[in-house]
Amino acid sequence: MPIFTKTTERVPCTVEVSHRFEELSAHVRFDDGSVVHPGDVVEVLGPEIMAPFGEVVCENREAVITRASGLERWWTRMTGDAEFMELCEFSFSGEPLEVRP
Amino acid sequence: MNAPLKHTADATTAEEGLAAENMHAPVDSKTATEVAMRNTLLTPRFYTTDFDEMDAIDVTPVRKDWDELIAQMKADPNKGHFRKNEDWDHIDWDGMEPELRAEFIDFLISSCTAEFSGCVLYKEMKRRGSNSDITTLFQLMARDEARHAGFINDALREAGIAVNLGFLTQKKKYTYFRPKFIYYATYLSEKIGYARYITIYRHLEKHPEHRFHPIFKWFKEWCNDEFSHGEAFALLMKTDPKLTSGRNVWWIKFFLTAVYGTMFVRDHQRPAFHAALGVDPEEYAQSVFEKTSALSEQVFPITLDIDHPAWLPTLRKLQAANEQIAEGDRQGGLGGRLKRLAGSAKAAAAFARLYAIPAKRHEVPVQTRLEPCY
Repeated sequence: MPIFTKTTERVPCTVEVSHRFEELSAHVRFDDGSVVHPGDVVEVLGPEIMAPFGEVVCENREAVITRASGLERWWTRMTGDAEFMELCEFSFSGEPLEVRP
Repeated sequence: MNAPLKHTADATTAEEGLAAENMHAPVDSKTATEVAMRNTLLTPRFYTTDFDEMDAIDVTPVRKDWDELIAQMKADPNKGHFRKNEDWDHIDWDGMEPELRAEFIDFLISSCTAEFSGCVLYKEMKRRGSNSDITTLFQLMARDEARHAGFINDALREAGIAVNLGFLTQKKKYTYFRPKFIYYATYLSEKIGYARYITIYRHLEKHPEHRFHPIFKWFKEWCNDEFSHGEAFALLMKTDPKLTSGRNVWWIKFFLTAVYGTMFVRDHQRPAFHAALGVDPEEYAQSVFEKTSALSEQVFPITLDIDHPAWLPTLRKLQAANEQIAEGDRQGGLGGRLKRLAGSAKAAAAFARLYAIPAKRHEVPVQTRLEPCY
């Protein structure tokens, strides 16, 4: 892993979107077993994916993983914890409401 | 299927919901659309953690409790709960006060996003692990979260708001959390989630006239899922005494303070929502903190002193500081930036004051498991 430079990888992936009454979920799985590490950026290529209501859609796509440099990975590890409040989801968004009709 | 239903509210299956007449007429509610436009609707976050460390967890010390909990979750007592029945009353979205409608829709959107984010996180943990105890747990929790998200999504659809999963094809950066921070934060958010839902549910049981949307009727069984998830994290933390002793107690206090403080501030941002429920946000907060503290004694050696004379006044200061920050943002320019800066300093000072209130210590019981009792 280079310390300063980023590298990119193109990997095949499967995107599964469930847009049903009994389940709303969306997951991306890398078909070749690639895993992401702190600071990596993932982009699934192609048009937006959305299942019609009541359906599950499964698509094979290609994803670009931009690997963080060694330095960036270290930095993300050191500072990532600072964003911990995002884990404290108790049903309320962080922004004050702006819509006042 | 018979003739198409008048409204998705009457649907018992997805197909019926789709065929219902109101699904075909685009809802022209301007406010609803604005909210939907303003939010990308679902913007979950993506995390990585030390999956190897998590995978190495050995649940042997809590095996009996663990197996019972997993068996209970596998039995899926709530499987039939999340469907619409005759209790799902018709909602007059157009007759709803615009302010209340905006706040309530925002409530639904953020709830849906929270459930969705939980689902993404748990599923990732499930996929990255090889320890079957751990992967089974995360699979079950991901199931519940996806189910809750689907249920809220349907309530949103009735309000004319469509889910946008555009994030799937956008660049997403993976940030990092230490496993122990995930345990503290997720444990607390599941338990406080339970306390929040059950407090509203019990309140509306006594005051049904304030129940302005049928979704609140589902809160009791719903929050039992949150309760079980919290139990699982309590057991996970029990497997390693270091997680709840020594220096980590300071982290626990930090998380408790941050979670309580954030809830207090955010609830005050929804005055119309709480007024419609007939709930005073401050009383509600204290009642939720009381329950969460009592529950968290199962695993944390300290609780916050929420009856301390400085507690509520400092929370109010935190809330005022937060309003100042928001005001500065709205104002913009140099004046706005200065206002924001001053607000941030006040918020930091208030948080430090809350953190400095001596915590209450107690013996952690040997027996961890609890049942929902509120």
